[in-house]
Amino acid sequence: MRNAYIAKQRDEHGRKAVAVLPVHYPKELFTALDLLAVEMWGPPGAPVSADAGRVQAYVCAVVRNALAFLASGRADACEAVLFPHTCDSIQGLATLLTDFGGWSKPSFVFQHPRGSARPSSRAYYLGELRALADGLAGLAGRPLAPERLQEAIRLHRRIDAARAALLDGRRRLALDDVELYRLLRRGEWLWPEDHLAELEAARAKLGPDDVARGVPVMITGYVPEPGTLFEVLGDAGAFVVADDYAAVGRRVVRAPAALDLDDPFLALAELYWAAPPCPTRASDQVARMRYLAELCERSGAAGVIVHEQKFCEPELFDVAAVKKTFAGKGAKLLYLEGELETELSGQATTRLEAFVEMITGTARVA
Amino acid sequence: MSRSIGRRIEFEVAGRVVGPALAAFERAKKLARRRGPARPGKPSSPFGPPLEATRKLKELMTTHYLAGRYADGAVPVAWVTSGFPVEILRPLGFHAVYPENHAALCSVQRVVPELSDAVEKEGYARDLCSYARTDLGSVLTGKTPVGRLPKPDLLCCCTNICQTVLYWYRALAAHFGVPLFVLDTPYIYGQAPGHHRAYVRAELEELVGLAERVAGRRVEPDELEAVVRVARDGTRLWGECLAQSRARPAPWTGFDGFFHIAPIVTLRGTEACNAYYRMLRDELAHRVARGVGGIRDERHRLLWDNLPVWFDVRGMSTLLAERGFNFVCTSYTNAWAEAGSRIDPADPIGSAVLAYTHIILNQDLPNRLDILRRLSRDYSVDGAVLHSDRSCKPYSIGQIDLKQRLARELDIKVLVLEADHGDPRAYSVEQGEGRLTAFMESFA
Repeated sequence: MRNAYIAKQRDEHGRKAVAVLPVHYPKELFTALDLLAVEMWGPPGAPVSADAGRVQAYVCAVVRNALAFLASGRADACEAVLFPHTCDSIQGLATLLTDFGGWSKPSFVFQHPRGSARPSSRAYYLGELRALADGLAGLAGRPLAPERLQEAIRLHRRIDAARAALLDGRRRLALDDVELYRLLRRGEWLWPEDHLAELEAARAKLGPDDVARGVPVMITGYVPEPGTLFEVLGDAGAFVVADDYAAVGRRVVRAPAALDLDDPFLALAELYWAAPPCPTRASDQVARMRYLAELCERSGAAGVIVHEQKFCEPELFDVAAVKKTFAGKGAKLLYLEGELETELSGQATTRLEAFVEMITGTARVA
Repeated sequence: MSRSIGRRIEFEVAGRVVGPALAAFERAKKLARRRGPARPGKPSSPFGPPLEATRKLKELMTTHYLAGRYADGAVPVAWVTSGFPVEILRPLGFHAVYPENHAALCSVQRVVPELSDAVEKEGYARDLCSYARTDLGSVLTGKTPVGRLPKPDLLCCCTNICQTVLYWYRALAAHFGVPLFVLDTPYIYGQAPGHHRAYVRAELEELVGLAERVAGRRVEPDELEAVVRVARDGTRLWGECLAQSRARPAPWTGFDGFFHIAPIVTLRGTEACNAYYRMLRDELAHRVARGVGGIRDERHRLLWDNLPVWFDVRGMSTLLAERGFNFVCTSYTNAWAEAGSRIDPADPIGSAVLAYTHIILNQDLPNRLDILRRLSRDYSVDGAVLHSDRSCKPYSIGQIDLKQRLARELDIKVLVLEADHGDPRAYSVEQGEGRLTAFMESFA
């Protein structure tokens, strides 16, 4: 489906596609240059080629699968690849694929600053944005016009607003989790205007009253794979009321309400530091725990699911703090770990069901 | 943390009097044992005579850790990653603690499983770096083979070795509630663009300001220059020690080098560090002149890539030495010598930008391949062992391709050996020995 969409975008709009590895990157630059960003979270399932064996089995499945996918030529519909600076493994993948074989088309890296916001990191971020913009402009074959970037920022602000409305108004939304996550994740590869149209259509399904039924839970983790997790959750009688997936909720920027677009690069920098805390951006851990606790409390979640991918260092280093944070509040917590499977294992299914039963039982007793 | 004169006296006495006195006492005990009834010699040992400098190394490190017990409350204390430009902290009187070095020590002492268990109970996955688990376990339990680690006033983390340290130090910052300074060194693909260098320079200037605030005094340019000069000389001396192994036979083993690296990591920028390496270099040069090898019968020369397997260094080195194999160079120990070539006392900040961004782990795989090629040729190796280290992804990713390229280009035998630098539970000694033995047999 994605290849057909990519081909259509190229044929009808002249838009080149760029494969993008997780997690954070300034998508507005792509939009402004008429480039289609197609995110690669693996893909899930078994690696599609033997190239996965070029990295050790203790490297996460996102990287192993992406290596296999890109090196096998299955992403050849894309004209370039972007490696955002997410972790050591994606950093290593960037040099492995481009320097030692597997990807011969253009490649870009985007190394966002790590550590707290300081004058140095702000200046650096602007430099990095401009360097990427120059590289992408070369690929697009035309310079980046400031007004196009301003337009793109406005468009993505509307997308963020729509995504925030759906996530924050989850109880009043007449969609189940499977439908909601399918919709939100289509933003990983749809042209932003197409995605916004779908989001707005879904937003129309936000009613004045709560319609979601079942136990509300908060979920945090890297990427919502496998999607069948939400089927199991729904069947067990629960729904996601608050989201902190790196792939989803952590990329929805709610503030600032008003953004000065005179210098669009400065505006992008402001958005970067206004995004929810994320360990892949090295956000302060205490601030992140405060954010999660507030998100949980505000949403009225009855339990917390921590859903991580094996070997994902940025995420796994925060798990102890997450557990401690919610244990201190007496909240029920379930830790699930996967390896980018296409189906939830029977064991994980049982654990999810038991978790929901436990919360339901607790709620009844209370 | 407030600092008192009494505590300062304890710190100085521990570092200047008690530490050296303890070491002298240990030395005397050993000497007395030697003067006793003659012990059977070790003709079966595959190793050359032990290095005299090792005694001084123990004294140096014992004193460092002993003084550290009394450092908090006496002087400003910083916990620092191994790739951090500690030269900026030294003139301000910081006592630097290196959790990585401490974790290596814990691994040699085989206490990693106990410390790791403590943090695994808290939710840290065993898949995470064993250095980090060890250190966090030590922090949580208060257990350490060095008696006590001083509490930090400042955490200093540089991303030039990995991003794991970043996550690890974020957790430490949350635990201790002290400032964390992240020196972010963007990874170098090919050449570092200008805005990357400007960024690191600006960060270093911010670091000076923060360190001054924590220390409560300003750093004078001449003090900084002096420390940087000492650090540069120290790394050069370390490089001279390593270069002695270009001789045949190599006067020591690469595994010896793993232990003797400790001062350049933990005491870089101090005269004590440099004095030690002068002594070591001279001893090694003397051994080269006399044809004394690190192993008795050096028949094959190998390169080691990645961190050591700290908990099994002795076992591995014995297995290899018994068959005439010596690791004459390692990319890990070499990294500490390479950085020094860029340090310039006349431009402490500017040269630190170059030195601390151009670390082997902060550069792309073609650069890594160049280093391995150069080491292989300079040290005339017949083979290489690439340690695929479960705890160190940035060092390990790419090794499968590196293996093929090294073998093809240099016509040497290359083995990828899966192990872990700290946690014995992630390594099967029997399987590892089997792999190494088969590798050695392939040289026949």
